[in-house]
Amino acid sequence: MAESFYKSLDIGKDVVSTRTLLHEAIPLTGTIISGTYGVANIKSYAHGMFQSVYDYPYLSSSANYIFDITTGVGANSAIHASVNASGQKSKKLNIYNQMAQVLMGYDHLGAIQRFDEDGDILAGGNKLDNVIFLNFSRLLTKDEIKKGTFSLKLGANAAYATPMTKLLEITDASGSSGFLVNSPVGEYGILFAKQSTGNPLAATNVKCGLLFYQAGICALTSSVLQQLLTTPVSASATGTATFSDLLTGSTIDTFANSFRHRINNLQFNNTVELNSSVYFCRVNHNEYNYSTNPTYLSGSKIRVKTQTSDLPVSYITTVGLYNDNNELLATAKLSEPLKKSSDTEFTIRVRLDY
Amino acid sequence: MGFLDNSGDIILDAVLTDHGRKLLAKGDGSFQITKFALADDEINYTLYNNAHPSGSAYYDIEILQTPVLEAFTDNAGSLKTKLISYNSMNLLYLPVIKLNQQTVATKFHTSGSFIVAVDAETEGTTNNNNQFAVGYNGTNPVQGVIFGETLTDGSHIRLDQGIDSSEITARETLDPDLIEDTYIIQIDNRLGKIATTNGDMVPEDYIDDDNIAFYTVDIGLVSQITDDSNSSKEAIEGPRGTRLEFKIAASINLSTSTFLFTKLGGESVLEGKNVRHIDSIVRVTGMKTGYSVDIPVRFVKSKLS
Repeated sequence: MAESFYKSLDIGKDVVSTRTLLHEAIPLTGTIISGTYGVANIKSYAHGMFQSVYDYPYLSSSANYIFDITTGVGANSAIHASVNASGQKSKKLNIYNQMAQVLMGYDHLGAIQRFDEDGDILAGGNKLDNVIFLNFSRLLTKDEIKKGTFSLKLGANAAYATPMTKLLEITDASGSSGFLVNSPVGEYGILFAKQSTGNPLAATNVKCGLLFYQAGICALTSSVLQQLLTTPVSASATGTATFSDLLTGSTIDTFANSFRHRINNLQFNNTVELNSSVYFCRVNHNEYNYSTNPTYLSGSKIRVKTQTSDLPVSYITTVGLYNDNNELLATAKLSEPLKKSSDTEFTIRVRLDY
Repeated sequence: MGFLDNSGDIILDAVLTDHGRKLLAKGDGSFQITKFALADDEINYTLYNNAHPSGSAYYDIEILQTPVLEAFTDNAGSLKTKLISYNSMNLLYLPVIKLNQQTVATKFHTSGSFIVAVDAETEGTTNNNNQFAVGYNGTNPVQGVIFGETLTDGSHIRLDQGIDSSEITARETLDPDLIEDTYIIQIDNRLGKIATTNGDMVPEDYIDDDNIAFYTVDIGLVSQITDDSNSSKEAIEGPRGTRLEFKIAASINLSTSTFLFTKLGGESVLEGKNVRHIDSIVRVTGMKTGYSVDIPVRFVKSKLS
């Protein structure tokens, strides 16, 4: 095709690459997690190592997978030895070690690092050995969880039947200004628990876990529903078992069911890193004033002119971006026709996102 | 595709085409945008009313209200009618490409399209016409039937280029910038291929992901129109440029199998014979002016049983 159809872009002047961070709010109401669909949106597996939560009964094609719940008990945990046969001891240990090696990495001797309460591994300090993991789907977190936006409200009333009459809130309040970078999977922040309704916590703003932003994983100490409360909560509808009891004597599935029962609200903002190329298509006054549209001519006469001296006019609806071989790589449509004549010039800005 | 919201500011809806995604996935650097083109695919210029009673500001009011479709990702379905730049702003006439049907050998079949007989049985022969053939009427080739297997005898397609207006005499010389010396022919490669009027096959440039073969043709198929008279054999009334003549060869699939006829076509009666048929379009575009013509073509195969 003749070059009169195509105009070359000056790569130095007409093409610009940009990077934009987009954020979406992700609100997950507790009722979806703990009751709206009964257990139809909760998928348990024969291996029993984790439980998946969907936003709709998972057998439906409309369902979206939103996160997994599991728990791990490390070898250094005070309760590790107490975990009995029905408590999936080895699986809880395997989960702990797997998550720790991925999220915390290894020390200089190649040993798996334990989860550290304040992220200051060199200083020692408190370790998190009994951990609840919430692994969010990529659909929700996209490229990462936006720092400083995470909020998880848990029902902390002692009675199992009325968990939400007291609430505590877990946030990464410090995340927007302070976060840690000594994890092999990117940045993470410290989670703090604070009072929300009914003052269930023994102390407020207490460290209770880690939030891995790029990995989209929340690692929460199980103490948050036990030792950190003034009154440990009941984890069983039929008995007086606490979450510690479930860690030692129940399956991961049972533990996850009880934990879901206490999720009141969960929300965060995600982040999408949008890389764009912007192409400035500059149309000069003497360009693109005629059309090859079959309706442009009546016989051979240009319809939009009645005499030679009339300005030629065309109407732009589409921009095509091509490579050197004149292969169409991208198209852009204007929302309405743009009138082009020899007394007008335009720069049409076409943005392609990757 | 839906329409774009045109209630507010002008927005741009941009997408990669299927071919663009393919090149991007290759990762070999072939995805490199270096140029752009503009098109007016949705515009119907017959809506331009230069006799509007409210004045010139209203001439194009209906055109400007045209709703625009969302972008297609099919690279073959976009930018069908491009905008073009000419140095002169004083052009009042532009050349067209027009089927020349002034002779029996280049006329449509009476059914309103060119017929491509895809095998020798369907073509028939002068001396030994069989009961299934549609190519001959007695000893004469049937008007508008192209012999797609043997490429002998029969019709061919002829297009003339120039300014088709009685307001300019044919004796005027066409501006060299407006004379086409090269054309692009697009044809569904599953159905047919392009051949010269002598029956020599023309090599295609490439076949795209929608099975459309592209042929760039010039000398051999293109010749200058030298007749500047008012001859009834000419299709262009005004100054004339070039002529493109070619035949269509049936693909081997169509010649030897009924599979595509079953899948893409139907059955009908042609010249009193039962045939299988597939309707298609051959597009011819001028390289210089971008003017294009869609030629209706029906591929037919006799029902031997």
